[in-house]
Amino acid sequence: MSSFNSLMEGFASALTLSNLGFGLLGTFLGTLVGVLPGIGPALAIALLLPITYTVSPASALIMFAAIYYGAMYGGSTTSILLNTPGESGSVITALEGNKMARRGQAGAALATAAIGSFVAGTIATGILAFTAPSIADLAIKVGAAEYVALMLVAFTTVSSLLGASQLRGFIALSIGLVLGLVGADLQSGLARLTFGSDAALEGIETVPVIVSIFALGEALYIASRFKDEGWQVISMKGKALMSRQDWKRSWKPWIRGTFLGFPLGVVPAGGSEVPTFLSYSIEKKLTKHPEEFGHGAIEGVAGPEAANNANAAGALVPLLALGLPTSATAAVILVAFQTYQIQPGPTLFLTNGALIWTLIASLFIGNALLLVLNLPLVRFWVKLLHVPRPYLFAGIVTFALLGAYAINTSVFDVQVAIAIGLVGFLFRRFGMPITPLILGLILGPNLELQFRRALQISGGDYSTLWASPLSKILYAVLIIALFTPIIARVMKKVRKEVIQ
Amino acid sequence: MKLPQGGKSELTFVGSLFLLGALVFWDTWRTELPAFNLTISPKVFPYAIATILMVLSALLMIAILRGDVATPEGVEPGQPIHKTDLKIFGIVLGSLLSFLLLIERAGFIIAASITFFGITVAFGNKNHARAGIFGTLFITVVYISFTRFLNVQLPAGIFKGL
Repeated sequence: MSSFNSLMEGFASALTLSNLGFGLLGTFLGTLVGVLPGIGPALAIALLLPITYTVSPASALIMFAAIYYGAMYGGSTTSILLNTPGESGSVITALEGNKMARRGQAGAALATAAIGSFVAGTIATGILAFTAPSIADLAIKVGAAEYVALMLVAFTTVSSLLGASQLRGFIALSIGLVLGLVGADLQSGLARLTFGSDAALEGIETVPVIVSIFALGEALYIASRFKDEGWQVISMKGKALMSRQDWKRSWKPWIRGTFLGFPLGVVPAGGSEVPTFLSYSIEKKLTKHPEEFGHGAIEGVAGPEAANNANAAGALVPLLALGLPTSATAAVILVAFQTYQIQPGPTLFLTNGALIWTLIASLFIGNALLLVLNLPLVRFWVKLLHVPRPYLFAGIVTFALLGAYAINTSVFDVQVAIAIGLVGFLFRRFGMPITPLILGLILGPNLELQFRRALQISGGDYSTLWASPLSKILYAVLIIALFTPIIARVMKKVRKEVIQ
Repeated sequence: MKLPQGGKSELTFVGSLFLLGALVFWDTWRTELPAFNLTISPKVFPYAIATILMVLSALLMIAILRGDVATPEGVEPGQPIHKTDLKIFGIVLGSLLSFLLLIERAGFIIAASITFFGITVAFGNKNHARAGIFGTLFITVVYISFTRFLNVQLPAGIFKGL
């Protein structure tokens, strides 16, 4: 059956009345949490995961897709009006969008961000729908040894590209791998790093770790080190609308951002930071209004926002086709799938085809719902930005603890959550990136599994790991990423341009 | 040789990561393997990770001694690094720990209300009466919506049977 027919069936199952209801609820909740300052999409999705557990997998996926886009949309609203980017992909939006808002163009900035995200999300989801199955077809032939190589490449690029220091990135990754070791070994039952605790035999739950390292770590860090700094919300006048001139200046950056963001999401390039910075730098070069850049140029919001959204959809390609998350948000989505008993990877389209097409259809629907609902509702969302900081953090912290406890109704998970909160604090204080830790925790056990599988097939001969041509290519890529940080150097240059 | 500001505490932190690596190594070494034979021992991975962590922490410690001190998140390179306010840090941590101690003894409503209140204090809220009342009401609403509508079980504690 062709992708198109499968997609139509996906739409049919997503467009029932009750599923649309879940989609609406997800859009609402996702935006609600995403708009709260300091909460990026990864944390917003992780915080809302427990709510999706109680409904059927298809409805949960629809709600989930809506939460995902809602959280991203909410995040850009906050960046524009409050200048507090919740994640690295919104840094540019905060930079240029906030300047626009200060000049009284908040409405246009919000509109170009929202419509740009819609355009990029729709195009990128379309490409996803028609490429992911063929990549999955190819990936079915990928063996355990190649998987090991693939995961090592993802580890290397993510650890090298994020943050200022490669060494610190790899240390963060190693800590994640250590956390992934805790518990009974799946093959032999050997208890590793449990120190006699029965609760630890089950291993460390990933959702509380993700929530705590962001939420509890941030609360400890902000309270004790940035206590005197307040927020200044820029009031919004008029409606979230764009003039004819704004449209004219926005549509090309949207398209360029989309085609920049999507491929950089498919390859593990360390998340949305690279494409959004590159998009900004390109728009700055191509614009007819260079004098406005740095003071609120609409192209500087339109391009990076589109790149950010397309990048997020692009990251779904390796996630669905290979089971390989390449950003913190994608890692959270992987965990969500696993809790719905869906294992992303090459066989996914065969075993759970109907569900996946429902998900892809839901991404289209969620994206459209968001545009229709949120632009008119923007005033309501803006009100949320006025929640006082003490109440906001108190709410985030109690929700994080609730989520940690509720997942297994176990005090052990709360202990882990608090310990991880302290780790999150230390990571922020000592400039260590958090995403490598999350990837290490989630992919570490998988890497070990594939590693042993490969060696079992070869009877313990290690040369099997680099025997195939694909593995050789992947290891070559790894070495290049490790020793010639080309992208890091390009990024440094771009970053300098952006700041100037 | 004088370390840049923040260097000493970072050395302590990275040193403790080195010790974590050593701990993983020791724990792997002391456990006994199951009797049956596996192609790849379940100890290979822990040994490898422990070694990598120890080597990388040692390298980072050398880098710090040479002056490569981390830039804390939210601070521009070169800006002075503020000290952590230990009193406020203690209030946040205490609020987290009180949840841990009270959740199964006193129930979710009491545990979470205390945590909520503690965090508002840590973030500089002055109107304690309002924060206390609002927090407790909010937590009660959360409790009811999770247990009644979302089928998420949370301990009732002392309100059991109500």
